Amino acid sequence: MMQVQITGTMVLQIVVSGLLAGGLYALVALGLSLIFGVMRVINLAHGALLMLGAYTTYWLFALFGLNPFLSLLVSVPMLFVVGAVLQKLFVHRVVEAPELSSLLLTFGISIFIANVAMLAWSSDYRSVEFLTGSFILGQIAVSKPRLISFVAALGLTGLAFLLLHRTKIGKAIRATSQHRDVAQICGINVRRIDVITFGLGAGLAGAGGSLVSTMFAVYPEMGLIYVFKSFLVIALGGAGNYPGAFFGGLLLGLVEGLASLFLTAQLSEVIAYIFLVIVLLVRPAGLLGGRT
Amino acid sequence: MMAGILWLLLAVMGGLAVLPLFASGYIISFTIQIFMWIALAGSWNLISGFTGYVSFGHVAFFGVGAYTGALLVTQAGWHWLPASLAGCVPAAALALLIGYPCLRLKGPYFAIAMLGLNEVVRALVSYFESFTGGGSGISLPPILSIAPVYYAMGGAAVAVTLLTYRIITSRFGLRLLSIREDEIAAETMGINTSLMKLYAFLLSALFPGIVGGLYAWYSSYIEPLGVFPLLTTITMIIMCLFGGKGTVLGPVLGAVLLSVFQELVWARFLFVHQAIFGALIVAVVLLMPRGIMGVLQERYRLPRTV
Repeated sequence: MMQVQITGTMVLQIVVSGLLAGGLYALVALGLSLIFGVMRVINLAHGALLMLGAYTTYWLFALFGLNPFLSLLVSVPMLFVVGAVLQKLFVHRVVEAPELSSLLLTFGISIFIANVAMLAWSSDYRSVEFLTGSFILGQIAVSKPRLISFVAALGLTGLAFLLLHRTKIGKAIRATSQHRDVAQICGINVRRIDVITFGLGAGLAGAGGSLVSTMFAVYPEMGLIYVFKSFLVIALGGAGNYPGAFFGGLLLGLVEGLASLFLTAQLSEVIAYIFLVIVLLVRPAGLLGGRT
Repeated sequence: MMAGILWLLLAVMGGLAVLPLFASGYIISFTIQIFMWIALAGSWNLISGFTGYVSFGHVAFFGVGAYTGALLVTQAGWHWLPASLAGCVPAAALALLIGYPCLRLKGPYFAIAMLGLNEVVRALVSYFESFTGGGSGISLPPILSIAPVYYAMGGAAVAVTLLTYRIITSRFGLRLLSIREDEIAAETMGINTSLMKLYAFLLSALFPGIVGGLYAWYSSYIEPLGVFPLLTTITMIIMCLFGGKGTVLGPVLGAVLLSVFQELVWARFLFVHQAIFGALIVAVVLLMPRGIMGVLQERYRLPRTV
């Protein structure tokens, strides 16, 4: 392996890009965390929904030249509808069932969506070449799409928090995730909250996909790794702990960046995985604590 | 009824034992594949069918078994049979490594950890190129006779099925089923659930390791993408679910039926076939959660140990 002198600037550079990636992880993980919080369902189709968001942006850009960041206005509502329909048709039947059912169900949905995408759009790697180049800040280069995606991810995460804390729907969602039965007794239509929550979660995944497409290749199976990463983020932050998911996302981005600096980028997923196993071993409730 | 089933099974096994004497090479290879899927689906059943903890990365055990077998044959000059059997050692070690931290926790931790495991092991195998040949894989000597592999793979299928029967008729099996039905209640009854889950997981990892070694020998060539495909895990899962999870003959039935369907209809359309698998998982979970065996057990009042 080539030995490279590691300088302070390099570390700073890695920390910055790691945090930028982490903001995106946090956004995607928030969607997964919301669904899990309300329904106790780990949505393994989350990555497939992210992929649909990425393709939405890709096609709008390739066919109409639409600005990828503006295409969020299409991908988020579209994925909201897809999520709500999935919930209405399938997922609601397994909300009360043992975990095995919901895991297998969403796994099946995920395989189905990914392979239909492959049939429709082939498994070619595609990219949205919209913004290239970097902003130079002192000695650090910050890639333009990454920075803008990070800002967009922060904005969307902020909006989601506002929705959760400042609106009646948000309050109902939080109440349902705290205690389903009591929420129902208090007059909350939990079935309806489930549909809205799944839609919101899917919308956040779609937003993540749109943003990811400006940086990385778009292909039908791109989503799987994000399910894993999102879950890692949740495990770091503690299940059901929404602010925890945010910091967990930043932490994951940081760890991956540092791993690629000190070891090799090829193994950054391996490092993330070992990180997960160690966290589960030492702090099963998550680094920042949370409900289990 | 039980006696009838037993006689039927014995007759089928007798027929299969003499099959290589007269059948064509194609039929023999196809039967080897069915044996492989019986062993794999049956192994998945041991952890996921019995305890309800879903393993989404079982192909990782198959893959490390394949690499162990291939390396022992090519580097250490072992005979293929002990080399394949040795595949269960790293598989069990890997299961212990992942199972110990993840199975102590309730909830989806185990499922997600297994989902990531396969990618991780594949990345590691590709990375340590000098040892594993990286992306270019390992070539094994061509096999001269297919019959020994046939019997070895058949032996693995029978062994997994017998093991499942042994478990389902034991107190250990009851403990596992009680974990699946209500883990907290099982704990209250004094069952050491973490330990039981870990045992089941170790048992479920052994045979995929062995079968992986046999597969490496049988196919004469392995490479990371070939022995760690997500599709293999998906196939194990759907075969076990379709046949009936938590039963002895369910995985056997699922493996035979779906292998035949696959061979006749879907093999020509790879992506369609994966999409169909996805849809089939959804359909089975929603419409027939207990699988074919579950339906048969209910309708014909078969004992649960079938």
